[in-house]
Amino acid sequence: MKITISSEPRLLHILRGVVRWRAEQSGFLSSDVESLALAIDEAVSNVIRHTYLSRPDGKVSLEIRSFSDRLEFVLEDSGPKVKREDIRPRSLDEVRPGGLGTLFINCFIDESFYEGERVEGNRLRMVKYLPGRAASSDEGAGQERG
Amino acid sequence: MRVQVRSVDNVTIVDCAGEIDLYSSTRLREALLKALRSGIPSVLVNMEEVTYIDSSGIATLVEGLQLSQQTKTRLGLYGLRNNARSVLELARLHKVFNIFQHEQEALEKIPSTRPFEGP
Repeated sequence: MKITISSEPRLLHILRGVVRWRAEQSGFLSSDVESLALAIDEAVSNVIRHTYLSRPDGKVSLEIRSFSDRLEFVLEDSGPKVKREDIRPRSLDEVRPGGLGTLFINCFIDESFYEGERVEGNRLRMVKYLPGRAASSDEGAGQERG
Repeated sequence: MRVQVRSVDNVTIVDCAGEIDLYSSTRLREALLKALRSGIPSVLVNMEEVTYIDSSGIATLVEGLQLSQQTKTRLGLYGLRNNARSVLELARLHKVFNIFQHEQEALEKIPSTRPFEGP
């Protein structure tokens, strides 16, 4: 399943709805479903704000791949390359707006990887395992459900 | 998301309903900052009907908290659902806000709280 939207914040709710539906279908607990929707929302919001600088004419694609033990979310954009060292949550000792999106992604996603083979744009793969399914060292583990 | 503003005695209540995200948080920001600049001594954000809040919504509340420090306004939240409470706790912000269970408690207690004075 792959969805492409323009980089408009008003469309975020569509992606959240799809993530919730797919996570429910896959057997995640309701609390995990909401956490996943938040994490993916934050990742897409980061693309809109930091990669496209809030311009609405960019494209954001979200592919959801379902395996027997996990869901994988692959987020692609066509914006400038992200510097990985710039992506980090802010200190929780500070009380200021902003910088929490990365924290929420890190808390609710089991594994995330920036995949650098693309000539243009960015490709972020985020993995969430089903309850009780430990992360495997073999990334191909688990049969894809399509 | 819907945002409405009403007054009860000397308190302005910002009623929010629905999902607060990067798109809709601008409406909350506009209403909240306007209320905090109005000169009223206390502002409450009613989150009973907020079904979702992301980091931009949390950032809006923190911006309100910072403005309340400047305007010496008491700011409180009430009616948080589990998901909203969880993200505030995750960000360790639940201790810097005045958080009440429901409107009656908020109206009773907000006048005796102190305006935010920084972390």
